[in-house]
Amino acid sequence: MLTNEDLAALLPRVALGDRAAFEQVYRSACAHLLGVAFRILNNRERAEEVLQEAFMNVWHSAGGFDASVAGPMTWLINIVRNKAIDALRSGKTERASTLALDEEAMAVAADATQQPQALLERSLEKLRITGCMGELGAPQRQALALAYYRGMVHTEIAETLGAPLGTVKSWVKRGLDKLRACLEAAGIA
Amino acid sequence: MNYLLPERLERLSREYALGTLAGPARRRFERVLRQTPVGMRAVGAWQERLGGLAGAVPSMQPSESVWRRLEERLFPSARVAPRGPLQWLWGVLSVRALGGVLAGVFLCVALLRFQPGLIGMEPESDVLPQSYVGLLIDAAGKPTLLASSKRHGRLMTVKLLQPVAIPPGSVAQLWALPKDGSAAFPVGVVPGSGTGTVALADTSEKLFFNVSRLAVSIEAAPAKAGDKPSGDFVLSGHCVKLW
Repeated sequence: MLTNEDLAALLPRVALGDRAAFEQVYRSACAHLLGVAFRILNNRERAEEVLQEAFMNVWHSAGGFDASVAGPMTWLINIVRNKAIDALRSGKTERASTLALDEEAMAVAADATQQPQALLERSLEKLRITGCMGELGAPQRQALALAYYRGMVHTEIAETLGAPLGTVKSWVKRGLDKLRACLEAAGIA
Repeated sequence: MNYLLPERLERLSREYALGTLAGPARRRFERVLRQTPVGMRAVGAWQERLGGLAGAVPSMQPSESVWRRLEERLFPSARVAPRGPLQWLWGVLSVRALGGVLAGVFLCVALLRFQPGLIGMEPESDVLPQSYVGLLIDAAGKPTLLASSKRHGRLMTVKLLQPVAIPPGSVAQLWALPKDGSAAFPVGVVPGSGTGTVALADTSEKLFFNVSRLAVSIEAAPAKAGDKPSGDFVLSGHCVKLW
């Protein structure tokens, strides 16, 4: 996988219509980005559709990448997450609620280590802020994980966790505030 | 609604980046973002913070068809990898190309009928397509970059015969040097190794008709029309027209 520096150097070339640079960006980031889209959509076919749409955007709007606003991988993840969230919520994909989970999604659903909260814990470990985030209650962490990895909105989180909407909103807010504080304390952001 | 009130902007940016901002509110905020750099920065900061949460998400290799479909949608004229003995022919023969081929066949038949002496003057298989070709050498005189473009094409194919060191954050900028000695103009950014394609601003016939040399310099950013090379050329060579 290319480094963030490599990606940052390639994206301006993509903006100039350099196909080789575009393919390098795709080959390097596609597996990680498909993983992100798949967590939200729970279906490989739809996640691949989203990945394809996202890279259409990358080709057409690479000129909008500004390293001073966000890093290249963050920029790419953001495009994919936004597309996946839109696909999840758009009317045309209402089939999502009626579509059976594909085999891969079943396997993921059955795997405890792939659950949102487990993904959050492992990501926090990688960021080395597990201790700091541990000061947060389990429901706050769970609410944050459902929003980030599953693309759930407040009402869906409230339903899933069986908590009042107002409480969930404040859990999510507290979770994000704590994340910011922990990242700042660790000198990451 | 004033989206720029600091507290409101902070709340909306946070919820937008996380994804909990939904429905029409999400669309409205996206429209606001496009016009407010301060909003873009606020969202960017939250996206950067949240980006770390994707760190443990297991990768999934997409099927090769995703890339193939992307290529087909973005570069419809791109030649698809051969799948069968004659498959390439159908990839090349778009409806427009087929028209060209038929016109060519007609012309050929007419020529053979009225100018039979032309047959055998030059075996067709030995004729290269009309194009512009450049071979650029490095400071040590070693051939380093081969550039070629069909005369009426808008794409230049670039092949690096040996890698070129491009410092991180810089680009290798290809320039065209007109034979009348006027200022060099930027052609595009080339890769440091392997092969690449450079989209041209016009057909190569129009761009390179008066160009005698091509050169590459290392620049901090891709050059725009009107820019001049900021330093010495690391590669340079002749640009010739093949008939």
